[in-house]
Amino acid sequence: MQNTQIQSGPILWVVTGLLAIAPAMATARAADAPKLEYNRDIRPILAENCFACHGPDSAARKADLRIDRREDAIDLGAIVPGNPASSELIARISAKEATELMPPPKTGKSLTEAEKQTLRRWIAEGAAYQPHWSLIPPKRPALPAVKDAGWARNPIDRFVLAALEARGLRPAPEADRRTLARRLCLDLTGLPPSPELVEKFVNDPSPRAYEDLVGRLLESPRWGEHRARYWLDAARYADTNGYHFDNYREAWAYRDWVIAAFNRNLPYDRFTVEQLAGDLLPNHTLDQEIASGFNRCNATTNEGGVIPEEYKVLYARDRTETVSTVWMGLTAGCAVCHSHKYDPLSQREFYELSAFFNNTTQPTMDGNVKDTPPTIFVPTPADRPRWEKVSVEARETRARLDARKSAARVEFDRWLASAKPEDLSALAPSAGLRLATDAIGPDARPIAHFESADVGDFEKDHAFSYGAWIKLPGKGITGAVIARMTNAGGYRGWDLWLEGNRLATHILNKWPENAIKVVTRAEVAPGAWTHVLATYDGSGKASGVRLYIDGRPQPTDTHVDALRETIRTNVPFRVGRRENGEGAPGSEVVGVRIYDRALSAAEVAGLSGADRLLALARTPAPSRTPDDLNAAFSWWLDSVDPVGKDLRIRLAAIEVEQSEVRARGTFAHVMHEADSPAMAYLLDRGEYDKRRDSLKPATPAALPPMSPDLPRDRLGLATWLVRPEHPLMARVTVNRFWQEVFGAGLVRTTGDFGITGELPSHPELLDWLAVEFRESGWDVKALFRLMVESSTYRQSAAATPEKIQADPFNRLLSRGPRFRMDAEMIRDATLAVGGLLTGELGGPSVKPYQPVGVWEAVAMPESNTHDYRQDHGDRLYRRSLYTFWKRSAPPASLDILNAPTRETCTVRRERTDTPLQALVTLNDPQFVEAARALAQTVLKTPADVSDARLDAIAVRVLSRPFKPEERSIVRASLARLETHYRDHPDEAKELIAVGESKPDPSIEPRTLAAWTMLANELMNLDEFLNK
Amino acid sequence: MDPFQEYVRNESRRQFLSRGSNAVGWAAMAALLGREGLAPRAGAAGLEASPTGSRPPGPKLHFAPKAKQVIYLHMVGGPPQMDMYDYKPQMNAYFDKDLPDSIRMGQRLTTMTSGQKRFPIAPSKYKFARHGKNGMWVCELLPYTARMVDDMCFIRSMHTEAINHEPAITYMQTGNQVTGRPCLGAWLSYGLGSLNDNLPTFVVLVAKPTNTEQLQAISARLWSSGYLSGEHAGVSFRSGGDPILYINNPPGVPAGIRRETLNGLKALNELNYKIVGDPETHTRIEQYELAFRMQASVPELTAVTSEPEATYKLYGEAARKPGTFAHSALLARRMIERGVRFVQIYHNNWDTHANVAGRMPDQCRDIDQPCWGLIQDLKARGLLEETLVIWGGEFGRTIYSQGGLSQSNYGRDHHPRCFTMWMAGGGTRPGQIYGETDDFSYNIVKDPVHIHDFHATVLQLLGFDHRRFTYRYLGLDQRLTGVEPARVVKELIA
Repeated sequence: MQNTQIQSGPILWVVTGLLAIAPAMATARAADAPKLEYNRDIRPILAENCFACHGPDSAARKADLRIDRREDAIDLGAIVPGNPASSELIARISAKEATELMPPPKTGKSLTEAEKQTLRRWIAEGAAYQPHWSLIPPKRPALPAVKDAGWARNPIDRFVLAALEARGLRPAPEADRRTLARRLCLDLTGLPPSPELVEKFVNDPSPRAYEDLVGRLLESPRWGEHRARYWLDAARYADTNGYHFDNYREAWAYRDWVIAAFNRNLPYDRFTVEQLAGDLLPNHTLDQEIASGFNRCNATTNEGGVIPEEYKVLYARDRTETVSTVWMGLTAGCAVCHSHKYDPLSQREFYELSAFFNNTTQPTMDGNVKDTPPTIFVPTPADRPRWEKVSVEARETRARLDARKSAARVEFDRWLASAKPEDLSALAPSAGLRLATDAIGPDARPIAHFESADVGDFEKDHAFSYGAWIKLPGKGITGAVIARMTNAGGYRGWDLWLEGNRLATHILNKWPENAIKVVTRAEVAPGAWTHVLATYDGSGKASGVRLYIDGRPQPTDTHVDALRETIRTNVPFRVGRRENGEGAPGSEVVGVRIYDRALSAAEVAGLSGADRLLALARTPAPSRTPDDLNAAFSWWLDSVDPVGKDLRIRLAAIEVEQSEVRARGTFAHVMHEADSPAMAYLLDRGEYDKRRDSLKPATPAALPPMSPDLPRDRLGLATWLVRPEHPLMARVTVNRFWQEVFGAGLVRTTGDFGITGELPSHPELLDWLAVEFRESGWDVKALFRLMVESSTYRQSAAATPEKIQADPFNRLLSRGPRFRMDAEMIRDATLAVGGLLTGELGGPSVKPYQPVGVWEAVAMPESNTHDYRQDHGDRLYRRSLYTFWKRSAPPASLDILNAPTRETCTVRRERTDTPLQALVTLNDPQFVEAARALAQTVLKTPADVSDARLDAIAVRVLSRPFKPEERSIVRASLARLETHYRDHPDEAKELIAVGESKPDPSIEPRTLAAWTMLANELMNLDEFLNK
Repeated sequence: MDPFQEYVRNESRRQFLSRGSNAVGWAAMAALLGREGLAPRAGAAGLEASPTGSRPPGPKLHFAPKAKQVIYLHMVGGPPQMDMYDYKPQMNAYFDKDLPDSIRMGQRLTTMTSGQKRFPIAPSKYKFARHGKNGMWVCELLPYTARMVDDMCFIRSMHTEAINHEPAITYMQTGNQVTGRPCLGAWLSYGLGSLNDNLPTFVVLVAKPTNTEQLQAISARLWSSGYLSGEHAGVSFRSGGDPILYINNPPGVPAGIRRETLNGLKALNELNYKIVGDPETHTRIEQYELAFRMQASVPELTAVTSEPEATYKLYGEAARKPGTFAHSALLARRMIERGVRFVQIYHNNWDTHANVAGRMPDQCRDIDQPCWGLIQDLKARGLLEETLVIWGGEFGRTIYSQGGLSQSNYGRDHHPRCFTMWMAGGGTRPGQIYGETDDFSYNIVKDPVHIHDFHATVLQLLGFDHRRFTYRYLGLDQRLTGVEPARVVKELIA
């Protein structure tokens, strides 16, 4: 009866849906194999129908009966092994009375006759239980016998073929070389092959041609990019903080670490340990610490008014769920609120697991900044050796300077006693001086009002310097020190500005799109006269601005660097305000100086020192304060004392180098453990303010015990995960890699290996792969080689109606993989085919074309990712994994093609097919421009051979020439397009102007337009969009 | 019938049954199964739509629906209920007096006011008057709304647990404070399917407020499909540029040329299908055709200039300006007419922590006439009966002032314990005033309505029993109303 149903195909499918394969295998076996297996045959029935009320969840349990555990079921008489007739379970499922019947009719669940029969037989056979299949550590199974042994290239094929043969199916024939070249390139590098690669492979006579190609592709740096792209979904990596403001987060060092890790084939156990606990490894490297950023990729908030504890709990929960999903395929999320209905992960165990992630020094409020601590500085790869040396030199030079400082005080006192005021004023630079007001001194009067139209009227290509002495009343002061700036039209001019006591300057045409803004990292201390000064070299760049506090060059942050037009304004220069005020409240200003050139660092030091010493010299000795004396000494040491001066110059050079390295580098968000021992509270219903027991970190009881010698921290957890006896880690991992290649995992529910997940389509194959992967030393490249070199992989994707009926979703792998590519692959393939794709590896994320308003529509005005400022040039054509990912508005075209928001861990993307997707690939300027670029390339092919250009376009888009029927359709399309654009030259010009790259002027626009639309048509082919 | 075609039929139906993630779009599904115009309808024998009819045989309608379409006007930030609908004249005697502890009862506060030394009461500075047969109190800033109170169904006793925007809006839209669940619109797209051939099922419009002092984040996570298939996510119509992303052909590509390329594309895809035999190829062909139809229907939909002058008398002059709430309301009516199932409009800047006096006039002016106009318009066109209009925010605001308090101005912090919402049409009880709060508009004293109760009621109006309207995910039958008990508020239903 059951078998008939299976053969009738669709009917059974309608009834049992995607779980059909495994039960089908089970029932097929039931006929010939005598003994039922709990996991395969019984547990699915019980889980679906019984466990909700008679399972592990004590809160939902009815009649105090649980039948997920054999001893409980026997104790209460539900099961009498060997005796179905005495088993209450059988009595209840067969009951005639609705009040007696199980499952109760009101639940809407019912058992089929076949299911009831299976349960009876199982009890008769002794009612043996098993742990859930995925909790039993995998053992390497024997390879099954197959009839067509010659078809199998490697063990994968034996398992696949055995399953096909059991259903009377044959594998599909091997795909042709062109198809295989395209498939391999897309799977191993995420990019389509070049026509040259295809031709070379097609004509390669070597018996190892295929394996050689695989080897070359695995060595390509594109391999690491492509693998990283999948991993970043799992890691929920993004370029913004996520909640509320959703501000920029500079976290791409982690992304680049992932790419490099795949490229250097970091063994997967190391890959795991470093990401979960790189910061805890003894003598860890910078890279290992960067890797710990995995746990920093979660979304964070800084919303005013939130209760930090609530979000702290959410962060730990997110990390727990992510790690459980990625490494164990456990859907831990449900256990947040209650004991897991079906899986043996109790609520208590969830919080014990979360304790591992609950001990970070990270502040809950992210501060709306890009570098929420803990972070570490990451130099560029080229700077790394130098950075380490410079850090040592800086340390040593500072030590010597300190030593000189304690030795030289006496010399200074002597010098001061003999110094003459005129010598001192000569220290201040005078060339190019345009304005100087009285500096500090015993009789200094803060400037109450000063304005002059003649001062400071500089153009943006003019070098100038501007500074003053200021005294601030306290912390948090914001406002203008001096300015020549109008408020009209979005501000124009320049100023010296305080921003929360940090020194800053604006040089601008219009805020913020046409402006420079540079801000110091250090704050000006309140309550003391401090010299502040800015120099600008007229370059129009933020890098041409230097800020000094007390004569010392300051490390700065560039907030805006986009000045393009004039900065001149008729509004006069003013002290203590801009055109409409905006002064720094309570601040005193004296000693304003303006120069029409950029002072050198030595000159600025001289200026501030001279002013200070002059003031000191004019002050009678008894009235000289220790602070003033110390400040003067400090300057003397740096500028007059030969030993100190030399050291200071050396240190300045080191600091300049350091700041240059810093400016080129980035930082990584990392994990740091707090000193206190890790713990978490059990939270009633998952609510942060309903704390119950305090729990120590621990792993779930259903999994192998964590060795007592392992530390109870993330390192211990990671080490436990990669132990060979861990039943889930290897299986979950190979399954996810399998999914990347074959479109669906052997367990289709990639993130759920629990009881509610689907059963594996090929359980033995999954186990074999898991053991193989582990025993290979967790060699990721070897695993992919194994998969793509199998005959299974090399099958043609063409499906016969018979196969569609017998294996509609290719779960049996009766043909090669074919499915719509992920968003990034479609965009990358389009750029690659158009010849636009740039190959640069890593670095800050980029902002390619995006329709206006995508960010603006959703972002808060205060957000620094409110305005999408599109990049230009090469940055428009980088691989999509480098596209800037704003969580509350992911890249629009990728989003439409099912890219996740990266707000939470995603291990399996959706794959829908919608009209909005068609609109992207038809109309997005990126795709239209790529079509035009492709058209330009093929139009350079001489047209002397018939259809040479059509062939050129076909091999690029499809990696094969057109078939004759296709050729005639394409010719007809082209003819109509040519006719249209011949008659509509204006439209032709409009079309080829799409995109920022310039159309080739040597090509007649009407021809180019017609071929652009032809390319656009072909780049929307189902075959192009599918792998 | 060709056995292979039959397979495709079964195949597509099966995908809907399994609701797998590689689901065929509903449009393609409908194209494969044939369509019967408007769906769903109660079957002749029972109350369920025919399984092979015009809607996917996924969830079944449990009741004859009263409403078939929804317009949900969400006021982002949380409008101050006591300055609009929850009239508290007793408060005038309490000006600048501290909120009694007996009222606050240890209520948790946001960290924006938890540090405040005092909680001085700020009575509403606005005049209220009674209107309509039901005598509903409405503030002077809402003169148009005041005219239609007998058509409206007020709930003054809404409550939530969330006290900050992100979790609170997420709660209101998805029934859960943690992001990642499907929103109401997605649930209804899943449950009810499409009513039209050429437009999305669920549309989102983000209106720009006149005043922008305190905008809150609005992101696509609010209209996401969560664990439901992606086609149930809201499609955001934009007020600037293309109304739907990438809807317009590139410059220099007229519709005729697009048609040419699509014809070629289709012919080539058909050839490939003959060789490869992947049913998804046909789905894709259909999606391209639907995209082409949308390219024609969306501009027609958004061309409000074709509206007669009378329309602007109804909705106000602001309706001429794209991006305003009035314009969005007018678009919503045009969408309802054309069979869009669910229109969600967001109107921002209701987060009145400070300067209530400076902001409320603009906030109310933005929405007052357009809400009235929308309901009159729907009524006149016979659409109100089956269109449910919902108005409300994510929480209420405190009676005590945040920051400085004067007779003329004050601020109000977030308040989860009570807020006011209203509904109209779609089978709601006209003229109903449900629920009461205490004199301080602080605690509910009668007929509380939790977010889950509200969702349960909305689902009921649309034909679903919220307990049985489920989607299997992570091994559980997930519901919009979650696991806690929720009640359908019968008093709100006509």
